[in-house]
Amino acid sequence: MNTLLAVIIGVLTVYLAYTLYARRIDRHVIQSDPKRATPATLYMDGVDFMPTNKNILFGYHFKSIAAAGPIVGAIVAATLWGWLPALIWLVLGVTFIGWASDYSGIVISVRNDGNSLSATAHRLVSPRSRTVLLMFIVIYLLIGASGFLSIMSNTIEGQPRTVLGIVVLTAMGLLLGQMLYRWRSGLVGATVLTVGVTLLAILAGPWSEPVFKGLNEAMNSLSGGHPLVTYFDPTAAEFKGGEAAMMPSLLLWALAICAFCYAGSVLPIWRMAQPVIYVAFWISATAIVLGLGGAALATFVKPEVAQFVIPAFKGFNPQVGPSGMMPLWPMLFVTIACGAISGWHALFGSVGTARQIENEADMLPVGGGSMLCEFLLGLLALLSVSVGAKGAPVAAFATGLGGFISVFGIPLGFAVSLAYAAFIVIVLVVMQLLFRVMRVTLSEWLGEAIPIVRNQHVSSLVCIALAIVVVLTGTWIYLWQLLGGANQLMAALALLLVTVWLASVGKNWLYAGLPAAFMYVTTIASLLVSAYNIYANVYKVNAVAGRIVPIVGSGILIFLALLLVAAAIVIGIDGARAFQRYRRQPIAAPKPVGARA
Amino acid sequence: MTLAERVSRFRDAAAKFMYGLTGYEFVRHALEMRHEMETVFMVVTLGDLIGVPVLPPIYSLRLLPHVVPEIATWKRNMARRKEFWEKEEYDLHGL
Repeated sequence: MNTLLAVIIGVLTVYLAYTLYARRIDRHVIQSDPKRATPATLYMDGVDFMPTNKNILFGYHFKSIAAAGPIVGAIVAATLWGWLPALIWLVLGVTFIGWASDYSGIVISVRNDGNSLSATAHRLVSPRSRTVLLMFIVIYLLIGASGFLSIMSNTIEGQPRTVLGIVVLTAMGLLLGQMLYRWRSGLVGATVLTVGVTLLAILAGPWSEPVFKGLNEAMNSLSGGHPLVTYFDPTAAEFKGGEAAMMPSLLLWALAICAFCYAGSVLPIWRMAQPVIYVAFWISATAIVLGLGGAALATFVKPEVAQFVIPAFKGFNPQVGPSGMMPLWPMLFVTIACGAISGWHALFGSVGTARQIENEADMLPVGGGSMLCEFLLGLLALLSVSVGAKGAPVAAFATGLGGFISVFGIPLGFAVSLAYAAFIVIVLVVMQLLFRVMRVTLSEWLGEAIPIVRNQHVSSLVCIALAIVVVLTGTWIYLWQLLGGANQLMAALALLLVTVWLASVGKNWLYAGLPAAFMYVTTIASLLVSAYNIYANVYKVNAVAGRIVPIVGSGILIFLALLLVAAAIVIGIDGARAFQRYRRQPIAAPKPVGARA
Repeated sequence: MTLAERVSRFRDAAAKFMYGLTGYEFVRHALEMRHEMETVFMVVTLGDLIGVPVLPPIYSLRLLPHVVPEIATWKRNMARRKEFWEKEEYDLHGL
């Protein structure tokens, strides 16, 4: 297998899924009608509801959904099961489930006055489903933020050359916000300045390495070189499991990332979160575009970086840790989330994009098209790790992507630095956003019962403290799979809601109902497997050794996993009841609202 | 459609896609900031409509011509809020 063939498979998948399946559903099931008025035109307020050109919206939606998910998931899956199962799931997932979830999230909102999924669930399914959904989202975000915090602290501690880039990225983001919103500078000039300086800092990373290495050593000397916490890590020693230690330097970087996320969460969004994401976007987009081009050209120009080096298939149940299990079903289907299907997309599509849809005919190119493009991003991550060297997944990804970028004549060392930076900035800015959304959702969920939670500093600190406790399990892979499970379950619930809605209006519900059933069963099973793995591989082993911190952390994770399962069962039961009710008697279809003149 | 028209259409679509990918978010946020300021202005001038008399009606009357174009969007926006002082985070709310 080589990269060219994989790219051809990817492009064919996108073309066939869009033209042969997605378009058919759009025309014959949803019957999108360009003459029907959308919420954006009906309720236009110039801000939230705003009719927008489909190409602009395509870019906006794609940027909002494409982040760390497709990259990390593909890397972990290829490392655990080999590249073939990962490729098959990416292709089949996006073809039959992924685009349908994104597209339907937009459709259900457009056809329901621009309401969010939780508001629609409240109306169509049951009032309690909204509360359960809010709790579900907070837990999902907590697991996500913790997973990323764990991955990021380890990566930054192990790769001190990346620190300079991150510090300069933050500074440039703050400068960009000031330039755009206060000094009224032009976007192009501000972009060239801030992105250019950040890129230079990233490339200068290797020269700054001794400084940050020295800082790590100085931190570690504070405890006399002794670790703060020791724990059993089932992912150590190439997934055989072994003793691991949390040094003071790791805590330093974890706290630094938390401080970054806290600022991003509480400062006005224009001051930090938005401009930092914008600068980071250019860094990662540069690496990804170069990587995609390099992956396609590598077969002709530099064949040595185009050949897959990891095994195609590593087995149905690879061993991770002493007693855990990692069955291909259901775990592969949650490990690769965003490139195949993601609940986040449906959530965002229903509130962010749907309220800007100008014309119903735009729903498919914007929702379905963006998801199919994100699949290509997942494919690039899979290719990068498949041609990369063996070793830690992130390092393998950076080596592989760096190899693709070097096809354009960029020295390999710099190309790998850029690839590392692309990975880190994507994850970092997503974390910042996760904490922000978690803070807002926590306030909405508990704000009325516990008024102090409405204070943004309190809710942010609560979120960060919870994330740190969860990180202390030290097992990023389970955090990632729990996040994948929660994310996929969110997608399943979104599809379930779409199924209920389709039944309520008397339409054919199979295109959403079958994927919903598959994802629902798969993700609940995966959460139970994850809970068992955490118990068997982390809780039990550390309990024997009497280590309090990992015991508490893993105990919380098991509790959260079971809570997610319980929440999903409640929503599932309510959804099934509502589905049966509407199947017996669909709601009379409202008369179409008059089209715009 | 001629080839030149196709190319021009593609370039236009690509430019809009890039705008959506990059600058659109800033534009949306700038609109939100302006919208918040306009809401304050509307509450100051037409506050008594929603039970918050801020200005004596004579001044409201004098400001009325400046306010009229905004009334329709203000009405829609206020009707969606739980409380009139509530500030929504448009990019995140509704989750």
